[in-house]
Amino acid sequence: MNELIQAFTEMFSFENVQWDVVWEATVDTIYMTGIATAFTLVIGLVLGIILFLSDKSDNTLSQPVYGVTAFLVNLFRAIPFIILIILLIPFTKAIMGTIMGVQGALPALIIGASPFYARLVEIGLKEIDKGVIEAAQSMGAGTWTIIWKVLIPESMPALISGITVTAIMLVGSTAIAGVIGAGGLGNLAYMVGFTRNQSDVTLVATIVILIIVFIIQFAGDYLAKAVDKR
Amino acid sequence: MIDILNVNKNYSTKSADITAVDDVSLKIESGEIFGIIGYSGAGKSTLIRLLNGLEEPTSGDIIIGEDTINKLSKKDLRQKRQKVSMIFQHFNLLWSRTVEENISFPLEIAGVGKKERRRRTQELIELVGLTGREKNYPSELSGGQKQRVGIARALSNEPAVLLCDEATSALDPETTDEVLDLLQEIREEMNLTIVLITHEMHVIRKICDRAAVMQDGRVVETGKVLQLFQNPVHSVTKRFVRDDINDEETALALDEVRELFPHSKILKIGFVGTKSKTPVVSRVIKQFDLDMNILSGNIKQTNNESYGHLYVAIDVDDATLEKVIDTLGNEDITVEVEK
Repeated sequence: MNELIQAFTEMFSFENVQWDVVWEATVDTIYMTGIATAFTLVIGLVLGIILFLSDKSDNTLSQPVYGVTAFLVNLFRAIPFIILIILLIPFTKAIMGTIMGVQGALPALIIGASPFYARLVEIGLKEIDKGVIEAAQSMGAGTWTIIWKVLIPESMPALISGITVTAIMLVGSTAIAGVIGAGGLGNLAYMVGFTRNQSDVTLVATIVILIIVFIIQFAGDYLAKAVDKR
Repeated sequence: MIDILNVNKNYSTKSADITAVDDVSLKIESGEIFGIIGYSGAGKSTLIRLLNGLEEPTSGDIIIGEDTINKLSKKDLRQKRQKVSMIFQHFNLLWSRTVEENISFPLEIAGVGKKERRRRTQELIELVGLTGREKNYPSELSGGQKQRVGIARALSNEPAVLLCDEATSALDPETTDEVLDLLQEIREEMNLTIVLITHEMHVIRKICDRAAVMQDGRVVETGKVLQLFQNPVHSVTKRFVRDDINDEETALALDEVRELFPHSKILKIGFVGTKSKTPVVSRVIKQFDLDMNILSGNIKQTNNESYGHLYVAIDVDDATLEKVIDTLGNEDITVEVEK
């Protein structure tokens, strides 16, 4: 019993916490999440639109396009993130020049999250009323016009809630990446909190991550609601 | 204006091959409101989509103006669609755009400049009676208002042809009449050719000049609306006409009437066109000194003429009856003896 009380006292003492280090780790986490989310948004959107347009189209070219895209998306979504990081080490080294730190984490984060978001985009696009797309075709709209002026605006709430879920997942992924050498709050919790047995540092890292997640969720919900005029 | 020449449209699904449109040929004149009526699954929905190339015919040709729709390149077809526009049963407005943004959408597609877009959008909003609603989103409008936006949107590129896909089927009867009135107005104002499909004979009667009746992918009867109502030939047409004037109700009442007037002759007097406005019946009553019981009557208005019928019971001998029938016959009025 005494041991338990002692553990709690130590956890909430915050005597080991170096706030400048926490701040640096927070910036790293936000930076990694931000950059990875931005790339995921673009890549996921493109893949999601390709999946949507090539599915069930009568165009003979579209069937192999759908097959290949769906295969890649499913493949990368199935690989556990921690293994994906290790698997991608040669690729990461080649394009980023390093496998360590914030830069080293980005390729795995983006490649891990994009297929996930692509599926969310596809689901969002499938919810668009087919009649609206037909109406745009009946006005003489081409595929690009339909993508920009119908598909994206008409699925905007779903696209926003999708990227919100994805960004929160990415916060978690940066923490995992932190354990094997990327910076950020996950790295802080592991390197300092765990290896030096300073549980107060772990607690601070957790609280900061929770705050980041709540802010993303709140902003996402607010935006999704603001654009929804249905 | 529109020539549909021996058009077929087949689909193959996993379970069966379906012939949605079966050797259909129609000619639709410029400035005409042409109706296509049929029960669901008759192929009318596919047929109207062949007209703007949303569906391609398996065989046959569709000619609108100078162009054969099914032979146009993709680019030319998109261009052509700006002049052959469409309105829909469920309106198909973009929820993410306001009323004015929805109406200006086809203009954006056509590459019209911003200033001109605004001018034309404003004009159309006035035309369809939605002034003050410019900044509203579709979700804030009633069904009738949504269809008005649909119509304004369809007119924005000044089309030559307007295709109406069950445009009033989701509306209540009163709103349906308002929208039909609006269609008739714009036909005259913009010299439009309107092709509409529907399953409501009421719509055909109210605004169409001519109509075609479809069943199982085939056109089974075509003609002037008045002629279809007055003298339906095919059983489907008869059913539509009967549904519209509720003949069944009348027939039911007739049985009772027969019991009430066992010695009378029951006549069905049919009127068509302008004659239904002259007092022929009262003239006959005076001339032959008849006692007449009016049992039921029905006068319906088509877009330019009225037609109807009257059930009466009269006590007459056969000789007088023949004279009555002759007299009425001379006035282009049909008489059927129901007994």
